[in-house]
Amino acid sequence: MTSVCMYFEVHQPMRLNRFSVFNIGCDNDPYNHYFDEKLNKEIFEKVARKCYIPTNNLLLNLINQYDGKFRISYSLTGTFIEYCEKYLPEVIDSFKELFKTGAVDLIEETYFHSLSSLYDDLSEFEDQVKMHNQMIKRIFNYEPKVFRNTEAIFDNRIAGKVAEMGYKGIITEGTEKILNWRSPNHLYKPVNSDIKVLLRNYTLSDDVGFRFSAKGWKGYPLTADKYVDWMSQCQGDIVNLFMDYETFGEHQWTETGIFDFLSHLPGKVLNQKYLDFVTVSEAVERYNAIGEIDVPWAISWADEDRDVSTWLGNDMQLACFNELKNIGRKIKESGREDLLHTWRLLQTSDHLYYVSTKGLEDGDVHAYFSHYDGPYDGFINYMNILQDLKQKLK
Amino acid sequence: MVGWEYPPFKAGGLATHCYGLTRSLADKNSKVYFFMPRTKQRPSSDKKNLKIIEVGEIDIFPYDRPDSKEIEGGFYEAVYKYNDLVTAKVKNSIKKEGKFDVIHCHDWLTMKAGIQIKEETGTPLVLTIHSTEYDRSGWLYPNQWFIDIEQEGMEKADRIIAVSHFTKRVIVDKYGINPDKISVVHNAVYPIPENQKQDIVLFLGRLTIQKGAEFFLNAAGKVLDYEPGTRFVVGGSGDMMPQLINQAVNMGISDRVIFTGRMTEDEVKHIYGISSVYVMPSVSEPFGITALEAISAGTPTIASKTAGFSEAFKNCLRVDFWDVDEMANKIISLLRYDPLHRTLAEEGKREINLFTWDRVADKTMQVYNEVT
Repeated sequence: MTSVCMYFEVHQPMRLNRFSVFNIGCDNDPYNHYFDEKLNKEIFEKVARKCYIPTNNLLLNLINQYDGKFRISYSLTGTFIEYCEKYLPEVIDSFKELFKTGAVDLIEETYFHSLSSLYDDLSEFEDQVKMHNQMIKRIFNYEPKVFRNTEAIFDNRIAGKVAEMGYKGIITEGTEKILNWRSPNHLYKPVNSDIKVLLRNYTLSDDVGFRFSAKGWKGYPLTADKYVDWMSQCQGDIVNLFMDYETFGEHQWTETGIFDFLSHLPGKVLNQKYLDFVTVSEAVERYNAIGEIDVPWAISWADEDRDVSTWLGNDMQLACFNELKNIGRKIKESGREDLLHTWRLLQTSDHLYYVSTKGLEDGDVHAYFSHYDGPYDGFINYMNILQDLKQKLK
Repeated sequence: MVGWEYPPFKAGGLATHCYGLTRSLADKNSKVYFFMPRTKQRPSSDKKNLKIIEVGEIDIFPYDRPDSKEIEGGFYEAVYKYNDLVTAKVKNSIKKEGKFDVIHCHDWLTMKAGIQIKEETGTPLVLTIHSTEYDRSGWLYPNQWFIDIEQEGMEKADRIIAVSHFTKRVIVDKYGINPDKISVVHNAVYPIPENQKQDIVLFLGRLTIQKGAEFFLNAAGKVLDYEPGTRFVVGGSGDMMPQLINQAVNMGISDRVIFTGRMTEDEVKHIYGISSVYVMPSVSEPFGITALEAISAGTPTIASKTAGFSEAFKNCLRVDFWDVDEMANKIISLLRYDPLHRTLAEEGKREINLFTWDRVADKTMQVYNEVT
C-alpha cells in the first residue's frame, strides 16, 4: 500500500505601505502606517473569492462524497487567520467545517511565517510556534502533531528543536541534496534527533503547482487519470504532495481546469487497489523511518536552489535580516510590548522574498508574487520601515 | 549608411550608436560606407571595411534641433543641402562601383537622402528611429514640419528599426506605421572605467525640455534637506541652461549644484566614474544610452519609467519623471544604504555585459537580410 499525503500551505503576508525616507521618524502609529490595509484587503478578498472559498467547498464535498476516505492536511499561518478574522470570518467557519469531518489534519508552524528558525537564539522561534499552537487550539480546539517550518526550511538544528518541543513529525523538501539516490517516498529521521521527516515529492507536487497549465510541458494536459497512473508507479510508503493552497484558482486559474482535476482526483486514487489517503499525523503513526538524513545547512522548498538564498541570497536581504534581528533584541530589552506584534509582522518571510535578485526563471516567479517594481524598490521600502521602527525605540 | 554625427564630434546618442554599429558591422565582414557632414574634427576609421565619407563644407549644429531661432533657418537649409550632396555622392558611387545592398538612414536629418536614393536607384531603405519630434519637444509643441518629414521617411522605408518598444509604439500610434515592419533593437555601450566614488549625484544630457533637468533640481532640493553633504552635477548644455541656473539660485541650493556646460569625452568619462548616483529624469526618452554608460562605470541609475532603457534593463531604479518625492527617496536611499548601492552597482555591471554593439550589429544584420 502506498499512501497519498496531500498538504496545503495557506498563507497571506501583511504587505507593506509605500514608505519613503521622508516618512522615517514622523510621529505615527506603526501598525497603521506600515501595512497597506487597502491593498491587503483587496488581495485577500480576491484570493478568497478565487481560491479559499471555492476550494474549501469542493474539498468538503469530496470528503463527504468519499466518506472521509479522502484525507488532507493544512497549515494556516497566523497572519492568514488575522486576515480572515478581520475581513471574512466565514472563511474560518468553512475551515472549521472541514476540520469537523475528521478527515482534515492541521499542521503547526511559526505564527508569522517567519525566518526566526534561522536566528542564533531560537527563543523567538519557540515563542512564535507557541503562538501558533494557541491560535489553533483557540479556533479548532486541537493540538497539531506535525510541524512544517516556513517554506519547509529545515536543518539539523531546527529538527532538533522541533523534536524537543514534542512534535512527532516535521515536513521538508525531498531534494537530492539530502537524499542523494534515495527516494522521497519514505519517512526518514534526522541524524541528531528523534522525529519523523516527511519529504515532499517535488516532481509530482510541482506537476500540479507549477506545470499544470504549461502548454510546453510534455505532461500537458494533466488529467487525474494520468496523474494517478504516475503515482501508482511510485515505489515506497508515501507520496507527499505539498503545495500552496493558492494553486487552486489563483496560481492556476479556474479556466485551466484545475478544479476539474482536483474533483476527479480522490475517486481515481481510491479506485486503485494499492493507494489510499493519509493525513500528516496518520503518516507518522503508520510508517517508520527507513533511514537517516543529515542536513547541516538549511534547505527549503523554494526556487531551483532549494536553500535559503531566496530570502538571504544578497547583501540587501542580509542587511534587512540583521537589522530586523537587532531591532528585536532592542524591543525585548526595552520591554516595548506595544511594538512587539508589529516587529513580528515584519518578520514574515515574504518581505525578504520581494528583495531577491535571482535572475531568469526564478525571477519570473518572484515578480509574479511581488507588488513592488523589482527587488530594489522592495528593499528601499522595507529598510525605510525598519529604520522608522528603530527610531521609535530611541 | 547615412549619419549626421560621429565621434569625436558628438552631441547625443545618434553619434554613439553610429560609431558602435558601423565598427561592429565592419568586424562582421560587412562593407560599410558611412556618410556624414564635414566637421572640424576629422573622424577616421582604422578598419579597412569601414569608410567614413565626409560631405560638403557645412558646419553641423549640435544634435538635431537648433537651440535658437536665429540659426534655425540656416540649419534647415544645411540639412537639405547635406541630403542633396549625399544623394549625389551615392549615385555617383553606384555608377562607379555598383549597387549597395541597403541604404541605412538615421532620424529625420538623413531621411530625405534615403528616400531619394531608394526612389532613384531602387536600393532598399532601412531607417533607424532614435527619437521622434514628439520626444524632442517633450510632447508639448511638436513641429508639424519635422513630423511630415518623419512620416514620409517611415512610410517609404522598407524596414524600420526602433531603439525601444516605447518608440515602436510611438511610430505605430502617432505615425500609423504597420508594426510588422518595425524591429526593436536596444542600444549598447562601450564600458567606461569606474573611479573612486564621491557623494555626487549626476545629471547628464542636453538641457532641453525633453531631458527633464528641472525635475532633477527639484529632487536635489529635497535630498539636501536630509543629506546636506551631497553634491549635484548638471552636465551638458542647452537652451534651458539660464533658466535652470536661476532655478537653483531661487531654491537656495546653488552652492551644492555644479553646472559644467559642455564637457569633453574625457571629462564625461571622469564624471561617470566618480558619481554615486546617476539620474535620467527624461520627459520622453526613446532609449537613453547615458544610463548604460553610467551603469558601466559602476554608477547605480534612477531612470524615467517610460524611457526605452527602463524597459530593457532590470538592475536599475525607475521613477515617474514628475514624481520628485520618489526621485529624492531613491537618491537618499542609494546614498544611505550601502547594500543597495553595492548590489545595484554589481548586478548592473553584470547585466551591462549583455548590451554590446556586437549584438546590435547582429540584430541590424537580420533586418538587412529581410530586405535584400
